[in-house]
Amino acid sequence: MRILLVEDDSMIGDAIQRALSDASYAADWVKNGLSGLAALDTHHYDLVLLDLGLPGKDGLDVLATIRERNNPVPLLIITARDSLDDRLRGLDGGADDFLLKPFNMAELLARMRAVLRRKGGNALPVLSNGVVSLDLLSKQATTVELSDIALSSREFALLQALLIRPGAILSRCELEERLYGWGNEVESNAIEFLIHALRRKLGSHVIKNVRGMGWMVSRNA
Amino acid sequence: MDGVKKRLSESVQLRLSVALSLAILLVALIASGFAFVSAFEEAHEQQDDTLRQVAILFDRQHMTLQYPQGTTIDGDDEESRLIIQHLGDGIDPSGLTDEVIPLPFPANLAEGLSTVEVAGEAFRVLVRTTANGERIAVAQESDARDNDARESAWRSLLPFLMLFPVLLLVVGDLVRKLFRPIASLSAEIDQRAEQELHPIHEQHLPTEIRPFVVAINRLLARVARSMDNQRRFVADAAHELRSPMTALSLQAERLAATHMSSQTRERLLPLSRGIERGRQLIDQLLSLAAAQSEAARDQSVVSVHEIYRQVLEDLLPLAECKQLDIGVESTQDVHLTFNRMDLFTLVKNLVDNAIRYTPAGGRVDLSVASAPGAVKLLIQDSGPGIPLEEQARVFDPFYRGLGTDEAGSGLGLSIVKAITERTGARVQLSFTDTAQQRGLSVTVWLDSTRT
Repeated sequence: MRILLVEDDSMIGDAIQRALSDASYAADWVKNGLSGLAALDTHHYDLVLLDLGLPGKDGLDVLATIRERNNPVPLLIITARDSLDDRLRGLDGGADDFLLKPFNMAELLARMRAVLRRKGGNALPVLSNGVVSLDLLSKQATTVELSDIALSSREFALLQALLIRPGAILSRCELEERLYGWGNEVESNAIEFLIHALRRKLGSHVIKNVRGMGWMVSRNA
Repeated sequence: MDGVKKRLSESVQLRLSVALSLAILLVALIASGFAFVSAFEEAHEQQDDTLRQVAILFDRQHMTLQYPQGTTIDGDDEESRLIIQHLGDGIDPSGLTDEVIPLPFPANLAEGLSTVEVAGEAFRVLVRTTANGERIAVAQESDARDNDARESAWRSLLPFLMLFPVLLLVVGDLVRKLFRPIASLSAEIDQRAEQELHPIHEQHLPTEIRPFVVAINRLLARVARSMDNQRRFVADAAHELRSPMTALSLQAERLAATHMSSQTRERLLPLSRGIERGRQLIDQLLSLAAAQSEAARDQSVVSVHEIYRQVLEDLLPLAECKQLDIGVESTQDVHLTFNRMDLFTLVKNLVDNAIRYTPAGGRVDLSVASAPGAVKLLIQDSGPGIPLEEQARVFDPFYRGLGTDEAGSGLGLSIVKAITERTGARVQLSFTDTAQQRGLSVTVWLDSTRT
């Protein structure tokens, strides 16, 4: 995959370029917006990493020019500007994600993968947080110790709700809303019962309880 | 006495009040003295006139004289009575009493008014020669006359005596009222928080102090500008540090990915930790600069439990590392109008602090309750707490309590303070376990009446 990196800071640019090639991406690195636009005119790129504070032509202007030319290339902004305004202007201007400096390379690579996946449109039918993964087709869960654990439809729905956004806490109310239709009488401890069943199947550490708030699966492991 | 002098020289209001009071007193004294004297003389003139009228009455109606023979009549007062007699009648050989009429006036007394002493008492006497050629004397005791005159003179002072305290009260009140704008101005300035450097309204102030206020406003503007510059410098500096810090962390990450001996890897770990700590410090510096900034913020209805949830989602990995039991105690959510980012930053810093300073296996509780006019947030931990003598200082930037080797930025509570000061909220530190003085309990009162 070919990546265009537009970054004026040579230390950061160098580090990202090398890390990208370590991760088997082919990365071209330019130091200002105009060279970036020129490179986009002559080559095909699968993804652009764009800094905002660029000399000559500001990153947001570069982004606007790229989108004006109807170039749908996936684009990720990496910047030190953290104001909400910049963030909104970047995302409204057609950026696919926004990463704030300083960041970890692992996070950048993960975000790049996410953007590419979204743009590619072939999201994997598997949800995972590293501890447990859920196959949305076979409705089976896999943990480090066990694989292809069969789940009831309610258990599957509950685990799916939690795995859609790992790290997010869902309250009993929210889980009930997601699992049961309107007008369905829900027994007061139905959710606890499901959680208990899931923990027995997957291991007690998979689903965590946050006192007074609800349940979650951890974000990264 | 010195104290009074000092106060006099310092207080224009007091000086004005005293000077006006003295002036009123002086004028009142002079005026009343004049009134007293003139009323006294006026009374004497009237009394002389009465003597004259009696003499003329006697002459005109050709009255004859008959002197009393020992008996006294009701209502006759020896002191104030009028006496008519032939001048030469009272040749009393003793000459020692003024009880018996006629009185022993000297026969050669001159025509007209005079004051004569009889038996040690002064008499005012009018001598007149009637149409028949008789010389008569009309007399009255001087003491009685003086008493009457004095009485009427005193009465003439009454208006002044009544007016004087009234004037004093009016002047005092007037001076106080005139100085009220200054008093309310200083009260207004006193009530301001550190950040409130907006100019003072000068429209309703007297023209005399307006130049002073204008000068103060110019100073306020200069201070605000320099504070703003300083804040911006901190923000810019933190911002500029981000790029080299990014480069540093990326390089360290790449280094970690290479093959190296276990000894090298061991030495790389503190380096990465240091970089991470620097990154957090920069984030906190920027957060503090943002919290102190006076820029207008969106206000919206915020659910406190929603904020708690976001904060917990952010900080749970940290709490899990230390196996803390962290959770929300209140079952009832509270909504209030507030800036979402402000509330999130406030709660996040408090919870982050609680997690940092609570030993592994400890407990952190969050709760919320609504009080009249306020929303009360409570964040309690089972850590060591903050000793009473340190509680005021922990809000200072970079302050760290003794015996804490925690790698915090030292800015968390400063950020909390900046937000609470700007939004009119109140923070109180106490102990979770009051008896043993352990565990930090932070209470934040957010003004729920604010719009």
